[in-house]
Amino acid sequence: MLCDSCKKNDATIHIQEIINGQKKTIHLCGECAAKKSGDNPAMEIGGFNIAEMLYNLTEKLNIPGFQQALQQGGIAPAQEKPLVCPACNWTTEGLRNTGRLGCPECYNTFRDILEAALENMHRGKLHVGKKPGSDSSDESPRLMLELMNYQKELEELIQREEYEKAAKVRDMINELKKKIKK
Amino acid sequence: MDNKQKIDSLLKHKVSWLEDSGPDDDIAISSRIRLARNIKGTPFPIAASPDQLNNTRGAIQMAVEKSNCLGASALCFEMEKLSRWERELLLERRLVSSEFIARDGGAALIVKRNESAGIMINEEDHIRMQALSPGFQLDEVWKIISRIDASLEKHLPFAYDSKLGYLTSCPTNVGTGMRASVMLHLPGLVLSSQINAAIQGISKLGLAVRGIFGEGSDNQGNLFQVSNQSTLGESEQQIIERLGGVIKQLISHEKNARLTLIEKNQYFLLDHVGRSYGILRHAYVLSSEEALNSLSGIRIGVDMGMFSTVDLHTVNELFLTIHPAHLQKFAGKELSAEERDIFRASMVRDRLKKFKNT
Repeated sequence: MLCDSCKKNDATIHIQEIINGQKKTIHLCGECAAKKSGDNPAMEIGGFNIAEMLYNLTEKLNIPGFQQALQQGGIAPAQEKPLVCPACNWTTEGLRNTGRLGCPECYNTFRDILEAALENMHRGKLHVGKKPGSDSSDESPRLMLELMNYQKELEELIQREEYEKAAKVRDMINELKKKIKK
Repeated sequence: MDNKQKIDSLLKHKVSWLEDSGPDDDIAISSRIRLARNIKGTPFPIAASPDQLNNTRGAIQMAVEKSNCLGASALCFEMEKLSRWERELLLERRLVSSEFIARDGGAALIVKRNESAGIMINEEDHIRMQALSPGFQLDEVWKIISRIDASLEKHLPFAYDSKLGYLTSCPTNVGTGMRASVMLHLPGLVLSSQINAAIQGISKLGLAVRGIFGEGSDNQGNLFQVSNQSTLGESEQQIIERLGGVIKQLISHEKNARLTLIEKNQYFLLDHVGRSYGILRHAYVLSSEEALNSLSGIRIGVDMGMFSTVDLHTVNELFLTIHPAHLQKFAGKELSAEERDIFRASMVRDRLKKFKNT
């Protein structure tokens, strides 16, 4: 099969995409695939792999057009509720559209969807590399986490117009910052 | 120091990955490792509010300063305060990504004065730290970036899961969060039409090949970046070893290709080098594509000892400074595309003048 892009070389990479419920397969040679991935700077590791990954994801998600296609084929899709991350409100929609997660907690929220995708993208399902050191004597990371939490709280208080409480939290933030900088 | 002074200071100092010598630097231009890290319990940049982005940035800036991981003379650039061309200049110097320079509030770059290491804050992840060294030396680069990671970790609570490793915004980076890459100059494989097969082989091994700056730059200047794709299921050392093994083979294929060209196609090669030199020495209008391709031609000549006095570092430096943002910085004003081509030609002629008698 010839490459869809240059129509000269043999296609060695086959990308399946689902756009608006339409399944589409693109066949590329190594050179054009590399070029294509370079064309899209947002897809840092190469557009073709992201597309593959999304293909994997879309099979598990509720996409209107895709469901329709399944139904027409006589297969009823499982009624899954769209997921929302309790920590950051990120949705399956967001994941599908961007290929990205909203916060560390999303890895729990979207675990089922991610599992298959991760296996496809990587060389295993378990991390075997470097771990954060267990230097518990250093309290700096804990203080930093505390700071981030206070800052989050401050933002919420201001939004709720609870200025008195906000002022107190702000003082605590300033104290913490001093402590961290020491 | 204002941003202009900071950028002037970058341009004034020696760039370690361009000007120092490194192993196999006739073929391998530079080695880079980048690690993605995020802060526990904090939304990734894509889902963060402007306030959250600023808070995260503040915390990371504080941690970098306190850990002193980039040295006391490190420079910090807050993206919203930079002009378009200042951002482009950082991109051309390979300190930031094209995704990063499109961002505004909350994004910042902190870079070591000699540009051998830097940290992008609030790119796709809260932290993208990179180390960059000349030649092919991934093990050394790993030591450098690993040290920076360890000292930051003493001040920041990183999002980490015992099964999935370091958690990242894009699941393609989860685990080690590591992307290791080597920039290779492969004119021998291109001139002998073996590059397609090489790229196909590399893709099959789960590694990626891209052009010099990623974004649609093709293989201008016969420069290729080879990097790992997967980040989970292998340790950092395993990834580096696997990538390194492929790079070693590519380097040896390139060397063979060059030798074969000398033995069997000597005049073709001499002509290629000579024409490249002629264009750079005598052109009055020079596009960046033509400049890169001609620089590639000179570089192979220098590597093979055809020029006795042109040094590799002048050629390496030109590979960087012929890009638009650098040209405009040197010109001291914004230039149209046509003006840039003229300015580029004159700068290159000037830089090569000292090698007149070779």
